Amino acid sequence: MSRFRRGVNSWTRIALIVGILIVAGAFWERALPAAGPDDASKASAQDTGVYTPAHPTVFDAVKEFFNSRPAAVQPIAFTHKVHLANGLQCVNCHTGVDEGPDARIPSVNFCMTCHQVIAKDKPEIKKVAAYRARGEDIPWQRVYGFEPSAHVKFNHAPHIRAGVQCAACHGDMTTQTVAEPKVNLTMGYCVECHQQKKVSVDCVTCHF
Amino acid sequence: MERRDFLKISAAGGAAAALEGCGNPDHHLIRFIPEEDLVPGIATWKPSICTQCPAGCGLLVRVMQGDAEVVRKGQLGILKMGLAKKLEGNPAHPINQGKLCPRGQAGLQVTYHPDRIKGPLTRSGARGSGQFKPVSWDEAMKQLVGQLSALQRGKQESALAILTSPLRGQRKTIVDRFAASFKSSPPVEFGFFDDGVVREANLRSFGVASLPTVDLGQTNYVISFGADFLGTWNSPVAQAIGYGRMRNGRQGQRGKLVQVEPRISQTGASADEWVPSSIGTEGIFALSLANVILQEKLRPSAAAGRAGDAIPGWSQGLGDYAPAKVEKQVGVPAARISRIAREAAANAPAVVLIGDAAVAQSNGLFNAMAVNALNALLGSVGKPGGILFSSPEIVQTGKTASPAKGSAVNDSLLSLVNRINSASDAVKVLMLYGANPVFATPQALGVHDAFEKIPFIASFGSFIDETSAMADLILPDHSPLESWLDDAPPSGSTRTVLSVAEPAMHPLHDTRAMPDVLLDLAHQLGGDLGKALPWKTYDEAIQAEFAALYKEKGTKTAKDADEFWKTTREQGGWWSAEETASPVGAGKAGGAPVKISAPAFDGDASSFPFYFLPFASQLFYDGSLAHLPWMQEAPDPLSTVMWGTWVEINPKTAEKLAIRQGDLVEIASQHGQLRAPALVTPGIAPDVIAMPIGQGHENFTRYATGRGANPISILAPMQVAETNSLAWAATRVKVSAVGHGKLVLFGGSLTEAPAQPR
Amino acid sequence: MPHHWGMAIDLDRCTGCEACVVACHAENNISTVGEDQAARGRAKHWIRVERYYEGEFPDVKMKFMPVLCQQCDAAPCEPVCPTFASYHTSEGLNGQIYNRCIGTRYCANACPYNVRYFNFYNPEWDKPLNLQLNPDVSVREVGVMEKCTFCIQRIKAAEIQAQAEKRELKDGEVKPACVQSCPPTAMVFGDLNDPNSEVSRLAHSNRGTKLLAELGTLPKVTYLQRDSWHGAENT
Repeated sequence: MSRFRRGVNSWTRIALIVGILIVAGAFWERALPAAGPDDASKASAQDTGVYTPAHPTVFDAVKEFFNSRPAAVQPIAFTHKVHLANGLQCVNCHTGVDEGPDARIPSVNFCMTCHQVIAKDKPEIKKVAAYRARGEDIPWQRVYGFEPSAHVKFNHAPHIRAGVQCAACHGDMTTQTVAEPKVNLTMGYCVECHQQKKVSVDCVTCHF
Repeated sequence: MERRDFLKISAAGGAAAALEGCGNPDHHLIRFIPEEDLVPGIATWKPSICTQCPAGCGLLVRVMQGDAEVVRKGQLGILKMGLAKKLEGNPAHPINQGKLCPRGQAGLQVTYHPDRIKGPLTRSGARGSGQFKPVSWDEAMKQLVGQLSALQRGKQESALAILTSPLRGQRKTIVDRFAASFKSSPPVEFGFFDDGVVREANLRSFGVASLPTVDLGQTNYVISFGADFLGTWNSPVAQAIGYGRMRNGRQGQRGKLVQVEPRISQTGASADEWVPSSIGTEGIFALSLANVILQEKLRPSAAAGRAGDAIPGWSQGLGDYAPAKVEKQVGVPAARISRIAREAAANAPAVVLIGDAAVAQSNGLFNAMAVNALNALLGSVGKPGGILFSSPEIVQTGKTASPAKGSAVNDSLLSLVNRINSASDAVKVLMLYGANPVFATPQALGVHDAFEKIPFIASFGSFIDETSAMADLILPDHSPLESWLDDAPPSGSTRTVLSVAEPAMHPLHDTRAMPDVLLDLAHQLGGDLGKALPWKTYDEAIQAEFAALYKEKGTKTAKDADEFWKTTREQGGWWSAEETASPVGAGKAGGAPVKISAPAFDGDASSFPFYFLPFASQLFYDGSLAHLPWMQEAPDPLSTVMWGTWVEINPKTAEKLAIRQGDLVEIASQHGQLRAPALVTPGIAPDVIAMPIGQGHENFTRYATGRGANPISILAPMQVAETNSLAWAATRVKVSAVGHGKLVLFGGSLTEAPAQPR
Repeated sequence: MPHHWGMAIDLDRCTGCEACVVACHAENNISTVGEDQAARGRAKHWIRVERYYEGEFPDVKMKFMPVLCQQCDAAPCEPVCPTFASYHTSEGLNGQIYNRCIGTRYCANACPYNVRYFNFYNPEWDKPLNLQLNPDVSVREVGVMEKCTFCIQRIKAAEIQAQAEKRELKDGEVKPACVQSCPPTAMVFGDLNDPNSEVSRLAHSNRGTKLLAELGTLPKVTYLQRDSWHGAENT
């Protein structure tokens, strides 16, 4: 490799040139993937009437490239800790997680089945009630998930059937208020577990 | 340093420098509270009915939760809702048995089409300018009620005309009852491929004015005169299923398909034997086959019964049609005719079909009735492996049947046009639904100009097309997947079928089901109308029909009407357990024998040397599906053309006219001309020029507008004798090369020749 | 024993109707590219219907042949891929891993069947046509090669379902979109490792041939050639 070692300066220069080329290329064509099909709010930020996996801007592409996702700011300071301490289980609210690929994020109506009565004077609960009164659902922000460009088709149900604990991938929620990405779900993380449990690590197990 | 890191650094350096501060303004749409409770990622399957063509196949719609941008109470937001994701055939449905054709698959794109009309519109510019402005439903209904009550006040009820595509089920009942009790002129149904001639012929030969169910699965020998029964004719999915069985579904028994037509259709391409006969001589060909069978005493002439009696000279053995005497006229050697006749007689059950261009001739009715007689002679009518007719009494349960109207459809459109032209106030209001006659009739008929004279046109369609562009008011229907549906397809299954479907998904836009609007209209107008249409909604009307059906047919399978209603909805409809297709002859006598005649053509042979043969497009059907991008980009099966149209020319003819593949050619009839690129193909007679129907829309969404040319536009306004159907394959044309055309063929093909068939 | 997925296509039944083509578009989120790109040969049809003419008027014979990825066991596309995006899966499929693909297009050059399609642009759907997208299938971006997967998402879903119910997959339980739609049942899909499956039976039919078998690619699609009518002797 020593033949190819260069000084820091030349690296920077190469980096700069390549970078400019990438930027130019990105403006030339709308480049690189971004929002998934169900990420409607993101896609409509710059509504052209066309849905495309392209990033709205190069900046978005760069952010994704560096795995930099802004911390999700939730509209309600929902506290997982309190709900779990009161004896609720994950699947009570995130229903469907043991049936298919995705877990439900409950709608405002679901929250209000309990909060019609419980803690209805707390400010955050009042916010929830106000959403419903306006006929709006709570715009929860996604915490975990894979970028569309990762082409990962994750399915919760078989993992739960195999006895994988929710905490294995989502961290210990009994200590969290709003959910935070405590576990970095890289491919290495997935593969390690698959190998330990002697499950297939064939690419098409997850990527298709 | 690894490649990945290198890329990251280089990208970062450039991008960060160039784009600092170039953020993404996050204006998020609000989210509405979901109206339904679905598990994300899990598909539910809902039965529905395909409305892409008249076959009436059953669907299963794959519904999954997704985020849709919708308008609710005037506000744009995101709604988590069940969305149709894929259409499959309904395995329980007797017609398509879980299978679905390409047109049916693309039904999904009707619902999600970007140019669907999203709410009621009124015309804001000059008529036909395509300028509309949105109005509320209340305002739109007020306008229509105002127009109709003005007619009532002026005792001019008959100045209301209703023009629809061919309808069935309660949708038809509602339209018919509305028309009858308003005392409008009788509703007109228009479809380009309405098969009116075949219906009329079947009425005369067999006493049943409907298309037959073809029992291909059990037949051993098929002769098809022009009927593209594997493509678009009659009930193509049901027929393709039967064809698969006929070909290789029975141990050691493989049927033969003989296709008689001057241009290879998709069905002809699958045939064991393609017989290019002269255009319009199908009836003579059929009688020649009958002559051989009678002459050689393979079957007795009386076997043809009434269908034979309707053919002059039948009982005398049809001596004038001996193969040697007609071979020149038919264009097929006598020996070949005799061989086919013997093969058909020896391989019972054999079945003979006729349709499409073979009946769109001046002598089309004769052609169809000659084929009917041949079928009867072969003993294939009402028998397994032959053609069967659903017992009309049973289909009429709940008053859903399409009445035996014969060729009334085109007749009515013609008479509507004549009526509009007869007096200035003959038609003051037109209600338009599903039909697009401005596109699908020859320009020479003058439909566009006639409609210009109608003071007020209200359209219920989901799209702006050539006809609805002339509307003053648009009250858009739901898409079929968003709507209740019911259907009573008369052919395709030997069982009686009454399909029903609830909406597979909530409406995306501010639309209302056409039958619901009519019911609302009836109640607002009141009087007889309200009484004739007692139901508040369309689904109530369907439920009433199924309650009646329960009393008649369902008491054995369900304990009460409610359970019957529930199970039929879950199944996608009701179908009889046993085969109900009856031997024919039960109906009344057929009437006068048909006149035998040679085909006549518009335009003289010296200045217009070619027969012009428009044909149904496998992907666009009659042009009503040209707005779907999947249909545009799917390569045509025979030509592989995408996103366009073409003109088929025999290589010898092309050579003579110095036309090369892809050249732009001009096709001119006595009534107009058009231009399209040439496709040189051996599968067409040298004196025939063929062209697919479907493209050439002047105004039909972003995907179809201004694409290709419309062969219907240059046709002669010629009629099939003894009917009033359009003889759409009876026009002569001339052809000349005019320059370079654009022919988009699907490039993907093998790099080397594939293994040859053994 | 792992599954070894294969297909049989009976050309005696195929009517060339294109139901498979459109079903595939709907199932697999294949974007339409529009007239101009289609004219440049960039239309994507993971399955296509080829048709061949024989003879001259009036003695013309035609045949249809649906062509899709043959999922070769000795696939020319696999060894040429520098990033192992194109590789052989444990169930014998020619996998195409989009996030590995860097768009060299070597695989498409190597494929003798011309069944690999490249995304020259980002796919686009005029809204709300994007609502038709199948959430079980990735949307491929610009610069990525794509091709028939034998509807891997349907295979996976059926396998997971069978596993949940603690049973083996039944023959005919997995149907790719093309097979499911096919009106004359010209296409049959199943496990070639199961000697009793319908597809195994058809793969050994005496009408069975492999496309370009002489190249030694060991395709897993068997074409049953057109039969001829045997009734002529009776007349």
